[in-house]
Amino acid sequence: MVATLPVLLSGQSSYEVKQLTTISGSSDDIIAAVIKNGIVFCSNRKTSPLVTRKNLQGQRLYDFYFAPFNSKKEVGKPEPFANELKGKFNLGPGSFSPDGKEFYFTRNYNSGKSRKVKGETDKYGIFIAHKSGADWINVTPFDYNDQRYRLAYPFISGDGKYLFFSSDMDGSLGKSDIFVCENIDGKWSRPVNVGPAVNSSSSEVYPFFSSSGRLYFSSDRKGGKGGLDIYYSIKQGDGWSAPILMDEPINSKGDDFAFYTLSSDQTGYFSSDRNRKGDDDIYSFKHTILRWAACDTLKKDSYCYEFVEETALLSDSSGMEFKWQWDFGDGTKADGITATHCFAGPGSYYVQLNFINLITGKVELNQASYLLDVERIVQPYITSQDVAIVGEDLKMDASLTNLPGWDVDTYYWNFDDDTYLTGSEVSKKFKRSGKFNIQLIISSIPDDAGNVKEACVCKDIVIKERKK
Amino acid sequence: MRSIKHIAASVSVLFLTLSAICSGQAVPGNDENIPYLMTFGKDGHETSWGDDDFSETFFFTIPKEYKEPFYIRVYDPDVGGNTDELNGYWDTKMQYTILGGKGCYTNPDAKGTDPVGNYKSGTVLASRVFGVDPKYDEKWFTFGPFNPADGEYYPKWSCYIFKIVCDGISGNDGNLYKYFLSKKSDDNVPIQGANAFTHEYTFRMWNSNDTSYVSHIYPYIDSGCIYVRQRNFDWDSDGDFIVVSVVRKGQKQPTSGDNDWAEGRIQVLPDEIGKSLDFRFYKRKDFLVKNNNVVVSVQNQYGENLPFFTVPIGGVPVYKPRIKVTKK
Repeated sequence: MVATLPVLLSGQSSYEVKQLTTISGSSDDIIAAVIKNGIVFCSNRKTSPLVTRKNLQGQRLYDFYFAPFNSKKEVGKPEPFANELKGKFNLGPGSFSPDGKEFYFTRNYNSGKSRKVKGETDKYGIFIAHKSGADWINVTPFDYNDQRYRLAYPFISGDGKYLFFSSDMDGSLGKSDIFVCENIDGKWSRPVNVGPAVNSSSSEVYPFFSSSGRLYFSSDRKGGKGGLDIYYSIKQGDGWSAPILMDEPINSKGDDFAFYTLSSDQTGYFSSDRNRKGDDDIYSFKHTILRWAACDTLKKDSYCYEFVEETALLSDSSGMEFKWQWDFGDGTKADGITATHCFAGPGSYYVQLNFINLITGKVELNQASYLLDVERIVQPYITSQDVAIVGEDLKMDASLTNLPGWDVDTYYWNFDDDTYLTGSEVSKKFKRSGKFNIQLIISSIPDDAGNVKEACVCKDIVIKERKK
Repeated sequence: MRSIKHIAASVSVLFLTLSAICSGQAVPGNDENIPYLMTFGKDGHETSWGDDDFSETFFFTIPKEYKEPFYIRVYDPDVGGNTDELNGYWDTKMQYTILGGKGCYTNPDAKGTDPVGNYKSGTVLASRVFGVDPKYDEKWFTFGPFNPADGEYYPKWSCYIFKIVCDGISGNDGNLYKYFLSKKSDDNVPIQGANAFTHEYTFRMWNSNDTSYVSHIYPYIDSGCIYVRQRNFDWDSDGDFIVVSVVRKGQKQPTSGDNDWAEGRIQVLPDEIGKSLDFRFYKRKDFLVKNNNVVVSVQNQYGENLPFFTVPIGGVPVYKPRIKVTKK
């Protein structure tokens, strides 16, 4: 009989998207950063019925705002942020240094001709504000600003090691490319184009490098859903994978950009003008596919043990007129004060230590013993190939899971490509090559008190293109 | 020459509760599995027969609580007949001297290994010379009765100590004999808590090349011992000598050849302090060395002679293996 394995249903959405209604209005709002107690975003909203700050072209200027989280972690009513940075220019998206003492942000070089950041042609660069008490002061230009070029959308990685930004500077492959600087002894290295795997002849903007190793960015390249679309590439050694277009509802026919993730990409924010009213709004998203931020790597069951007769180690073994002989209880023996033995499988083994008198040849049987219970590791277990081919069935099996006392309710497989399946045996076709970190998440049937146990293991699987 | 060793940093402190030791005053002891003590007549100074000094001293300890008279019995005290070693013709005389009183044990000369100086320190309680005397061949002769209070009281061990010295005063034959400390004059009845020890053991090995004939002597390792040095004489390369303890399964020691000395250093392990070592002697199996007599002594790092108790302090040491298992 051939079992029918679960397959992913087409059309399933792996994200839930919700507009931040407390922020949204007739203005353009672009997420900048998430800090401990709220979000920082830039907006060209009107803040006073009497005064409207505009540039020379009559467009409202962008400033920074802060919207605090309420007790339910929902975004509340916004208030101005870093007022001291305001001027006759746009304050564009920015990023905080990991220690929170510096704020890298986008700003027009020349305040007199400032215009809207996104899609405009005025030149702008990256500037750095330094925190002093509650204020952001002492604004300094980024070392590699050059008024001939646009430098924008700075993002500092969580470990402070990399600074990504977008620019049309020398070395660009398209209208605007993603560049990266490396922090070397506290100084940013010369910017390097992240390469053609990520950048195209179109524009790549709004880089965000997640702790998961994904570089999210927005691009208006061909093949998207429309306008700016959100893509991600995965860091692979010194390079990047081919960009992956995120599915709806993250992307839409409008502009979708400024993707900012939290919790190992499970939640976050982005901006979009999908509402077709002509303004950019901030949306939150939640990954509907279960994925653990800290999932144990699958351990291979080992039945190998080292046996040491510790008393013998106390004295010099030279001139010893006895031989140590281990009887492992499985029909095998080994000589030596220490011995390593691999058992064939789980079981209870009665290990005995014999001594052989080298003078008389007499064997002193069972001078010490150890009842060894060889057991499998308590963990969910993934049985699968380590390497598979794009487009071909890869079978995965959880039947060797060893979770004593669990009444398993669900076997949940997260394939690291925004898809999942359930069942103890599944079959999966990967659509692209790369390394995927598969998670098997097992949950138990609720006990009498309603408690559900969950456990997770992960395993890397390499998917390759079939050789032609 | 017997020297009086003045050692400033003496470590010979035996914190023994001898009354706690099981009874048994057979010399050699039951656990030692030694057939006989051995002393040769001193004439001609023929040490190659296996006796370096023609004298053997043993001490008996009697718990202070024991108040009854006791006896020291000697098996086959004469020199001749079936159980002695003939050299030419029987012409040897042995003197047994039993001593007690002050200095019997505590006199420094009493703790040496050679019959020099005042090695017969203390008060003579009895003495007798034996030659060829069929009346005592393979028979017991009894000294006593003795009053326990006539020994030298040794507060550290809470006991009275007596000494018996067997000197080969003339001739050159070998005397094989045994002792027993007894409650009775005509039977071997042990005194509970009593013990016996020597600082130099001269004894006969088994006349067998079967390795199951294993003899033992048990030096006591006192606190402060860092290493000990064993010395043995006239082993005639007769088999193997290993050291066993609770943490030492069996380490080979050098043995002497004919009429010479060998010595070996043994590093003392912390777990061996306050216990006895087991000096274990296996007979050679490829060739029978007959009538082999040997001498063994052991000293600590200061040159102090350590006692061999016939009932080992702390019991016969048994190696205690411990298994540790680690998953790889």
